[in-house]
Amino acid sequence: MADVKSKDESGSEDDDDSSKIVIVLFKSDTCAFCPRAEEVVRDTIRDFSPESFKLRVVNVSENPEVAEEFGIVALPTTMIGGVSITGIPEPEMLMKMIMGAGVSKMRGGKK
Amino acid sequence: MSNYTIERVKTGVPGLDELVEGGFPKGDTILVAGKAGTGKSTLAIQFLYNGAEQYGETGVLVTLEEPPRLIKRNMMNFGMDLAKMEKERKLVIVDLSPSKEVTPVTMGEFPSFDLSGLEAIIMSHVKKLKATRVVIDTLSILAYKFRSRDILREEFFKLTANITKKGVTLLLTSEIPEHHLGLGVFDVEAFLASGVLVLYNEKISDTLRSRSIEVLKLRGSKHSSRIHPMRITDEGVRVFPGEISPGA
Ligand SMILES: Nc1ncnc2c1ncn2[C@@H]1O[C@H](COP(=O)(O)OP(=O)(O)O)[C@@H](O)[C@H]1O
Ligand SMILES: [Mg+2]
Repeated sequence: MADVKSKDESGSEDDDDSSKIVIVLFKSDTCAFCPRAEEVVRDTIRDFSPESFKLRVVNVSENPEVAEEFGIVALPTTMIGGVSITGIPEPEMLMKMIMGAGVSKMRGGKK
Repeated sequence: MSNYTIERVKTGVPGLDELVEGGFPKGDTILVAGKAGTGKSTLAIQFLYNGAEQYGETGVLVTLEEPPRLIKRNMMNFGMDLAKMEKERKLVIVDLSPSKEVTPVTMGEFPSFDLSGLEAIIMSHVKKLKATRVVIDTLSILAYKFRSRDILREEFFKLTANITKKGVTLLLTSEIPEHHLGLGVFDVEAFLASGVLVLYNEKISDTLRSRSIEVLKLRGSKHSSRIHPMRITDEGVRVFPGEISPGA
């Protein structure tokens, strides 16, 4: 998977990232619904357990090649472990995706 | 201004420019509609290829349906080497086809989104290549990808307006579903465009089909309003402007 170039916003530099669930939020400078989507994602993470996540925000206006790579044309889109949701997500939907990603992460971790 | 003339962008598709007063109006949005297999992609890519090869206009091909590898193979059969053109930076193929492995599986959508991602992707390539021709093949795919039709309609208008703002000529393809009477799955495709071409491949007997092309509308043009024969040969789409289609 390509490196998602953007600000990492959780945890400190030397955190063990491999155990974290990565959430990627695609937004743009002109997208009217994106600020609200970002709020919902941040709130959901905060209510869940912030240390379990790594949030990456990709501004497609600045990094269009990342959106192209992942085939993301509609914004906001939130991507968690191979699944995505477009539009302002409902927290329940995010939770569902997070649980799914967590489960597959645990399965993938078993050797 | 009375002596204002519209600048024309030659398609270079044999026979087609004659039907449209010498070419598409520069900076316009042109829709090429037709059922599957009527030659929409071929014609659209010829427009880009000829632009780069003959008229010094670089192009961006946004593929939402066919993977680039298939497009290149198909066009190579018509003697058009897109890979070479990409290396020469006269053309870029933007792969937004469903075949990409890293594309996440969508859980659905909430009716609060826009297509600013698509716009940013396209415009970044237009800038990089100083492109003046853009093809989106095919718009219809987005109708299957997203459910919120009202948003899509509005976003298509914004998208086409923003792409053509600085003189880029935009060609969109739209697939007409079988047994469908309109010009595309949205029924708004025709309103998006200042020019509409319709491609046909109609059965004329049990064993015979006949291809034809119709210019439905074109801004400021005294275009031919007849249906003209069209063929797909080893060199791609060819139009016969002097003849009238037998089916017409
Ligand atoms: N070398 C060729 N000679 C004649 N017809 C061809 C040749 N190669 C492909 N075709 C025809 O071209 C058509 C494909 O056109 P295409 O542009 O992909 O259609 P669309 O995009 O409208 O679905 C098919 O009907 C195919 O039979
Ligand atoms: Mg096609």
